[in-house]
Amino acid sequence: MNIPLGIDFTASKLGLTEHDGLGPEVARQVRTNTQGKTLVIVDHGFGLPAKAVHVVRDHLNLTGSNPLMGPNNPCGERFPRVTDVYVTDCGRELPQVVTAGVKPGVVPDAEDQAAIKAVGADCWSYNLVPTMIIAAHAGLKVIGILVPEGMNVDAELKPILQSLSSEN
Amino acid sequence: MQSTVVSSSEAVKRLREVSQEVPKAAVLLGSGVEVLEDIAQQKSYSFQEIFGIAPTVEGHSGSFSLGKLDGQPVAVLRGRFHFYEGYDTDIVTLATRVIVEWGVPSFYLTNACGAINPAFDVGDLMLLTGYRDHISAQWRELGMLPSIKVPPTDCQNELTKHIWKTAEEVAHKNKDFRPLHRGVYAGWLGPCYETLAEIGMLHHLKADVVGMSTVPELIAAANTKTQAAAISVITNSWNKAKIHGHKEVLEAAKAASQRLDILLRAAILAQSAG
Repeated sequence: MNIPLGIDFTASKLGLTEHDGLGPEVARQVRTNTQGKTLVIVDHGFGLPAKAVHVVRDHLNLTGSNPLMGPNNPCGERFPRVTDVYVTDCGRELPQVVTAGVKPGVVPDAEDQAAIKAVGADCWSYNLVPTMIIAAHAGLKVIGILVPEGMNVDAELKPILQSLSSEN
Repeated sequence: MQSTVVSSSEAVKRLREVSQEVPKAAVLLGSGVEVLEDIAQQKSYSFQEIFGIAPTVEGHSGSFSLGKLDGQPVAVLRGRFHFYEGYDTDIVTLATRVIVEWGVPSFYLTNACGAINPAFDVGDLMLLTGYRDHISAQWRELGMLPSIKVPPTDCQNELTKHIWKTAEEVAHKNKDFRPLHRGVYAGWLGPCYETLAEIGMLHHLKADVVGMSTVPELIAAANTKTQAAAISVITNSWNKAKIHGHKEVLEAAKAASQRLDILLRAAILAQSAG
């Protein structure tokens, strides 16, 4: 099977490049890909509205940090736009969410979860948001897929990835 | 890159060597804000010369000028150090700490920002009455969740009241002077611009504008003998689904600079008269 450009943080054996978390290797991999392509990012979603695969339509970066801090990498602009980067059309109707990017290691308590919802997010995730920012800076579009922990997503995601790979 | 940075006391020592007088006011100018270009008896130094380090961003040249405005000694700082460049709090707040340590009584900060409040337009000026801190180094440690659970921080003081009063007087005399807005500035880390969801969040959290500076400087000057106040130049609006790049930010800042120039001169002059 021809697999689209993608990074998987959920170890779902989808044929995408798997990573445990964000690191220099993820950034390097994203940046070596040429402009105008679409990157698929698969991450775990927490507090999702339903036990199902969701596609991200926007995000709040609540990690407190930004992967573009420091000298600008010449692959993109110093002040990149990150609007209109998420692609929600992935060939199949998936429920859409706004995700909050939360700092790895932080586990939101009930009060935090209420605050996350109050400011407009439907769920939270740890790796997708910073990876999307690196991708947007490098000129890529992003299909952000969030999956609940412990859910077998093979049957759901394989056909989606297949249809994307034929377009890429 | 940061190895040659000097301490605030070393920078103050350098300034005392070149200036006999402590300025009555210091003005720190953000991205492309061009005001107080023609102060008398001007002597200019690079940030490198005073601080031992220069900022990295285009449009933030980094110069420290000393001169006179209507006979009053003033300092004008062009450029600043930002967290998004990778600098730590010591460097981001270095200029502010130097102004405080030098004993400058009034510190005027300016910045370029994007409007969230739908009543604000590109080219408007806003006096900060409060700020939201989503930018400090502590969030790199803790994550930013604590910052979305608190209201804006009030930053009004004698200097903000003085600027407001001066702006009303200027607007009264000069019909072309667009009235100043008052509102809350959200400090956002950057360097990427905000997403639409983030703008929605900041609106919900009662921010009127958003930018990538100023909050660390206001925090550093708080509870010192230096009164600090900030004026935002609105160079971008999030309400018209129009998103601008850095070059356009610089151009819009230029157009509003003229009115800011009038306001700052009037405020500094009235302050020295009072």
